[in-house]
Amino acid sequence: MEGLIVSNVLLWVLLVAVAFAVMGLVRQIGVLHGRLAPAGALMMDKGVAVNEAAPQVTASDRKGRPVNFGYAGEKSQLLFFLSPTCPICKSLLPAIKSIAKEQADRLDVVFISDGDMDAQQKLITEHKLEDATYVVGPEVGMTYQIGKLPYAALIDKTGTLRAKGLVNSREHLDSLFEVEHLKSATLQEYLNSQPHAHDHSHGHSH
Amino acid sequence: MHLDPIFIIASALAIAVLLASAATHKVRAPARFARQLADYQLLPDVAVRPVARVIPLVELAIAFALLVPVSRAWAALGAASLIALYAAAIGINLWRGRRDIDCGCAGPDQAQPLRPVLLLRNSALVALALLASVSPVVRDLVFFDGFVTVAASAVALLIYAAADGLLANSPLLLKLIGR
Repeated sequence: MEGLIVSNVLLWVLLVAVAFAVMGLVRQIGVLHGRLAPAGALMMDKGVAVNEAAPQVTASDRKGRPVNFGYAGEKSQLLFFLSPTCPICKSLLPAIKSIAKEQADRLDVVFISDGDMDAQQKLITEHKLEDATYVVGPEVGMTYQIGKLPYAALIDKTGTLRAKGLVNSREHLDSLFEVEHLKSATLQEYLNSQPHAHDHSHGHSH
Repeated sequence: MHLDPIFIIASALAIAVLLASAATHKVRAPARFARQLADYQLLPDVAVRPVARVIPLVELAIAFALLVPVSRAWAALGAASLIALYAAAIGINLWRGRRDIDCGCAGPDQAQPLRPVLLLRNSALVALALLASVSPVVRDLVFFDGFVTVAASAVALLIYAAADGLLANSPLLLKLIGR
């Protein structure tokens, strides 16, 4: 009788633990769903085509220095289009800055914005962007036909537009570099081409 | 019908904890609950605010009454009718075709659209509440009975939370695979 009671207590304790683990797993799946959707930066079917020469334009940054876009150079360029009035843009700034720092040897990050100079100045001091290349003006955005913010475009060393898209999270930003690496225009396109590309030398199994 | 008290106390305890947690969600964010209630479009606009105030109080009162042996049977019937009332509200909106409103079923991070499966969930809860309203067999309860009761209601609540999480996840999963 004693043994049965002990076994019963033990079973209840373990059952509570298992139920707790199941609940935890379900919660984690929920969090994953929140982080996953939508997969990859959303690409609008307009403007400049990916994997073709990026349009060449020169604009001056807020200190008056000229910045070239779309020309061949020593480093790739990441164009980040933002606005002081867009909260998601601000929430992405830390991610952009960390990418700029991590890949400083091969990537120039350019912040492109438009509108009220006081608001720009406030954003720059708030997010410590004093040393960053920061262009204020409509030219670049109009050339690249940016309709939605925050938007990012990646131009490689040869002046070819490698990836572009609406970016709402760090995952979207990373997906831009991923598609550059995979030589597909968008992550969606890469996934769709997968059945024909089994001999792909990179071991990316998504 | 008479049942062993363990079944009855365990289900009463589980329903009480469930109602109490539902009430705390509603008390913490009264504006959100009022908005969800208004979305259901079952009450005239003037009545939404007062009703949104009263519902959490009713839930808390029933939860406390479930824990007291004297009032347990009545409180269980009250809980069953409250949950059935929610099911009716969901059913009416499903019938109207308003599937896209937030159910307001669980906490703030589990917004989910209305679906028929929620009616199934609520009927399971009604069954649990009705189980708590049955009068128990009179017998002496020892310490071990208390342990089994608490453990059983804890398992019931955890499994309920897991099932609820799965229900909330399933529309997200469908969205992800592109249906």
